[in-house]
Amino acid sequence: MASVTFKNVWKYYGKTPAVKDLNIECPDGSFVSILGPSGCGKSSTMRMLAGLEHISAGDILFDGERINDLPPKDRDVAMVFENYALYPHKTVLENIANPLRLRSVDDDMIKARVDAAAKLLEIDHLLDRRPHELSGGQKQRVAIGRAIVREPRLFLFDEPIAHLDAKLRAHMRGEIKHLQRTLGTTMIYVTHDQLEALSMADYIAVMHDGELQQWGTPSEIFNKPVNAWVAGFVGEPAMNFVTCDLVGHNQEVFLRHENFEIPLLPDQVGKLNGAASAGTARMGVRPDALEISLTKPHQPSITGEVFVNELLGGDMLVEVLLDGSRIRVKTVPEFDGQPGDRCHITVNREKWHIFDAMDGHAYF
Amino acid sequence: MTKISQVSVGAQDATSKLFRAREHSVEVEARPLGGDDIKPRKFNPPLPRRYYLYLLAPAIGILAFISLYPFFWLIFLSMQDVDIMGGNWVGLENYANLLTDRRFLNGWSLLLKYSAACLFLQLTIGVILAVIVNNSRYEKVLVTALLMPMMMAPAVAGLLWLFLYNGTFGWYHWIMESLGILGSASILAKADTAMAAIVMVDVWQWTPLITLIALAGLKRVPRDQLEANMVDGASPLRNFFAITLPNLYPVLVIGVLLRFMDNFRFIDHILVLTGGGPASATKILPVYLFEVAFKFFKLGRGAAIALTLLLVTIVLGKILVSVFDKPKGSRS
Ligand SMILES: Nc1ncnc2c1ncn2[C@@H]1O[C@H](COP(=O)(O)OP(=O)(O)OP(=O)(O)O)[C@@H](O)[C@H]1O
Ligand SMILES: [Mg+2]
Repeated sequence: MASVTFKNVWKYYGKTPAVKDLNIECPDGSFVSILGPSGCGKSSTMRMLAGLEHISAGDILFDGERINDLPPKDRDVAMVFENYALYPHKTVLENIANPLRLRSVDDDMIKARVDAAAKLLEIDHLLDRRPHELSGGQKQRVAIGRAIVREPRLFLFDEPIAHLDAKLRAHMRGEIKHLQRTLGTTMIYVTHDQLEALSMADYIAVMHDGELQQWGTPSEIFNKPVNAWVAGFVGEPAMNFVTCDLVGHNQEVFLRHENFEIPLLPDQVGKLNGAASAGTARMGVRPDALEISLTKPHQPSITGEVFVNELLGGDMLVEVLLDGSRIRVKTVPEFDGQPGDRCHITVNREKWHIFDAMDGHAYF
Repeated sequence: MTKISQVSVGAQDATSKLFRAREHSVEVEARPLGGDDIKPRKFNPPLPRRYYLYLLAPAIGILAFISLYPFFWLIFLSMQDVDIMGGNWVGLENYANLLTDRRFLNGWSLLLKYSAACLFLQLTIGVILAVIVNNSRYEKVLVTALLMPMMMAPAVAGLLWLFLYNGTFGWYHWIMESLGILGSASILAKADTAMAAIVMVDVWQWTPLITLIALAGLKRVPRDQLEANMVDGASPLRNFFAITLPNLYPVLVIGVLLRFMDNFRFIDHILVLTGGGPASATKILPVYLFEVAFKFFKLGRGAAIALTLLLVTIVLGKILVSVFDKPKGSRS
């Protein structure tokens, strides 16, 4: 068990930076998820933690101790590799048992641990196969097994369940979370699936292009994104963005667009820091903070035209055309607007966000 | 610095509590459609490959002519008592005589010792060199330097070492003598040192081949496995034996195959250095064969020896190849 600190960490591959000035503090025993799109430097971060990649600049500390120069075997971390990295000439059993064998644990203990891990991962019937006789998802579970048979200071999971089917993934999410809770071991969990990050992590580090965008609890990341990029990346279906004008009008500030003019809530006006004079801004609002109806409501609303309806099981997603943009609204399946119909959208103003039109940072 | 924390392993029930597994599953395990006994009604035939034979036929014909014809001629020869004057049919007598021929049996035992010593040294040194070269920044230069002994004709290598071993002005002799390892007798004049001397030449000339082969093998040792094993807690040495060596195994088998067949064939340096002496101490079977066939011109007897040699080579080669063919699952 260890707390993990990144102090101004950089990673360069030749001349290209993959991780830029990373500063993170993962408390002891926490479940930290690194979330970001493909190629944003997540795996590079993990590999620096495991000691597989030289740290180009800055320090990584475990429990306040600098570990930059410690070889992998002395860092006592367990890692699930993105590409499984199983040993092809060993059976599944021996693959999972490898970390214990290397620590000369006695055979009975190894057997008990491997069996328990295999049962948890539902691969107990595969123990004497070799990796090339397994499917992708099965290999991935063997890789997880290899990490969880022992109790390291730190778990590093690099997209560990990306290749499993939806049901098994949901099951594994619960199991991994439970395992981490029970052991109390610090876990760093890389994923590009925001649902995984939001549902499992205590803290999420959102990365983009090697840079940390935001660090916070899942609800902070979801409800208070620091910039438009984070807001757009997190949440499914994705947040709607509409470029509008901010206009002040006796004490009130309005958000104005060809299709609507809606005032900000009084406390939101203060958060703008007088940016209203800047003119344009981007309004962001999640599809589930919107309500759609075919009749014009009393509150200020957005008027548009139904473009397409998508039925997603228990919900319906309606895409509405505005002048020059599109908005997606989550509603009930009973909504009977047909493509081409005129419709009206009301916004839950508690839940909308205003982003700067230039650099995209959030005012609220 | 950091202590490697011990794997804290609790009692077994603690383990099972940690993994809550499936006992608490709340899902309904519905049986999916289909049973174990469904099978297609009829299997499709494999892809036709009839025309392969036509394409291969010319090659097979030429091969048969250039390799099989002399082979059968050799068998025919081995059943005769031939000298320069001509031959007469003796059946299996040549073979029967071999069984009681001390020098023939001695030749075998020397050949096996010689080959085993060469292979062992070449493999060990070759792999170590390959690892060193692979980790070096001067890899290209080193590889070029390593290639040099191999480019030399074996007889020339023999001559070179003849000078080095020379009792009057040879470097090696001088070094050994100064160190007190060797008396004043020439290296090649004593039975045990003579054998070591010819092994040495073979090792000097052919270790680079193993190094090159191993180097090629090292290039494709999967990095991710090495990394995984390191994270699992392996030291570099254990990592080498657990991951590198098993991955090197197929190419090393090829190296062994090549080298042991060469040991059974290449005698140039032995002829130059010792000619099989002193007192048959280095008269490994191929040298003896050379003597019988081309010094005493007992061509029939020589053919019989050659055939036994060939047979053993084929059998050993076959064994090695089958070891190599064994599915190792090195694909992942
Ligand atoms: N060995 C390397 N040499 C050069 N560039 C590299 C190397 N490894 C990664 N990169 C680059 O560094 C950047 C970050 O790579 P990284 O593997 O950390 O991404 P990632 O966030 O894990 O992506 P993914 O979700 O696709 O796994 C990428 O642009 C990649 O091209
Ligand atoms: Mg990655």
